[in-house]
Amino acid sequence: MAIDRFLQPRASSWMANNGEHVDIAMSTRIRLARNLEEFKFPYAFSEDEALKVDKAISSVLLDKGKECGYDFTHISVEELNELQREVLVEKHLISPYLANSQHSSAVLLSDEEELSVMINEEDHMRIQSLQSGFHLQEAYDIANKMDSLLEEHLSYAFHEKFGYLTSCPTNTGTGMRASVMLHLPALTMSHQINRIIPAISRLGMVVRGIYGEGSEALGNIYQISNQVTLGKSEYEILQDLQNMTEQIIEQERRAREALNANSSLLLEDRVYRSLGVLTHARLLNTEEAATCLSDVRLGIDLDLITNVDMSILNELMVFMQPAFLQQYAGRPLEAKERDLARAELFRERLADNGINTKGEDFA
Amino acid sequence: MICEQCGERPATVIVKENQQGHLIEKHFCHVCAAENHNINFSFDQDPMAIHNLLANWFPKQKSAVSPVRRDALTCPRCGFTFQKFLSLGKFGCAECYSTFSPQLTEILKRVQNGNTEHTGKIPASYGTTLKIKKEIEELRKQMQAAIQEEDFEEAARLRDQVKLLNEKLEGGGNIGD
Repeated sequence: MAIDRFLQPRASSWMANNGEHVDIAMSTRIRLARNLEEFKFPYAFSEDEALKVDKAISSVLLDKGKECGYDFTHISVEELNELQREVLVEKHLISPYLANSQHSSAVLLSDEEELSVMINEEDHMRIQSLQSGFHLQEAYDIANKMDSLLEEHLSYAFHEKFGYLTSCPTNTGTGMRASVMLHLPALTMSHQINRIIPAISRLGMVVRGIYGEGSEALGNIYQISNQVTLGKSEYEILQDLQNMTEQIIEQERRAREALNANSSLLLEDRVYRSLGVLTHARLLNTEEAATCLSDVRLGIDLDLITNVDMSILNELMVFMQPAFLQQYAGRPLEAKERDLARAELFRERLADNGINTKGEDFA
Repeated sequence: MICEQCGERPATVIVKENQQGHLIEKHFCHVCAAENHNINFSFDQDPMAIHNLLANWFPKQKSAVSPVRRDALTCPRCGFTFQKFLSLGKFGCAECYSTFSPQLTEILKRVQNGNTEHTGKIPASYGTTLKIKKEIEELRKQMQAAIQEEDFEEAARLRDQVKLLNEKLEGGGNIGD
């Protein structure tokens, strides 16, 4: 089945560890929300319309995507079982909202998984471009190119004053949500993050902790994104986010230096203990794994650990999640069994010092 | 809500704590939250759902409203009423934007930091003249930014682009169609 390749524990290109500031800015995502003029929005349309929307968008992407150098695979959400949907959510290829969709919806995935176009999510179309590292402009250029291609063949719901019309007024205008995933252990440890977050929110941006239901900042990973989509052009939104992110990165670097200068032994102890846990534990829950991953990441960035490949840590962050573990095991696992499987996964993956070949399975 | 710790400042941070398997929520102001070292901040995906905000800002209209007025606030294309929009926080179709336009500016102002007009990308098919005008506006902004950063080379490049677009406009919208 066409879907199979996307369900494998195979690294998406956005998990690779390359790009500017990648030690702190792990990945970048741009999302564009678009609707077609002639159909009602997903909150009001009929099943028949949903199918027509899917057909209209998919046929353009499948036919013309190649012109832009992308081969898309079309996957209907209803053909996927619950676990498969969850795996795609954990890989950030579809949204939880799409996974639980009530009507005909689909996703078109590019081969390298750097582009995904969700159909009949909250809007008819959500173009999503993912990049490893801190690459707002590049990620936008890719999404924008795809948007322009689609627009040549489809007529968008657009208004001279309000811009791109979307289901939710929080997306009206550019329909663009740009976000950067940041690893901020030193700012978290020194509690400076508590002062930074309110400041960011006052400037029309949002900070969230990522992964996990409670969405606490598990593993010291935060996502910063623009909140405002109207009144600012794409260029301004990206500039603002770029500036803000650069400042946070700078603060994190300073906090790391301070931490290293003031409590290097404590820090070293913590980093090596965490490496010890990841390479030797027999049971690992999500929270502990995320915390230790964060410490080991920091250890690599500070050159305390030199024999572990960072890209493996990026993959583990994704593959250690519940649906992936079950997909890997080939059967449903209870929470305790997952902790056992997770520990096994980390031991296996880190045993060979994490020497990585891109695209290789960890099986 | 007032901060649980100092009892003075407004509570702006929700802290979730796991106490023997029970998730307990505490409400702190940003000062007390920063002092409290054993906490994780909680960032709910949707800190406040949009429909809750909208419903509070636009309290239910009294049923005494004349039938004509109520009709006016039902979208002829998708059948969404203004009340339905408020309760869902979502539009049913593109036409809802004109149907609810009397209230729309107020709504957008509130969810978009006071902004009510789009200044970004325009679909190419939408009209060359409007597109060029907006492009010029956009380039001018970028030019200002370049000047402020003392990147005069970039500013000059942008100025030339603006000039070209202005010539295009004066020559009528047909060029480049």
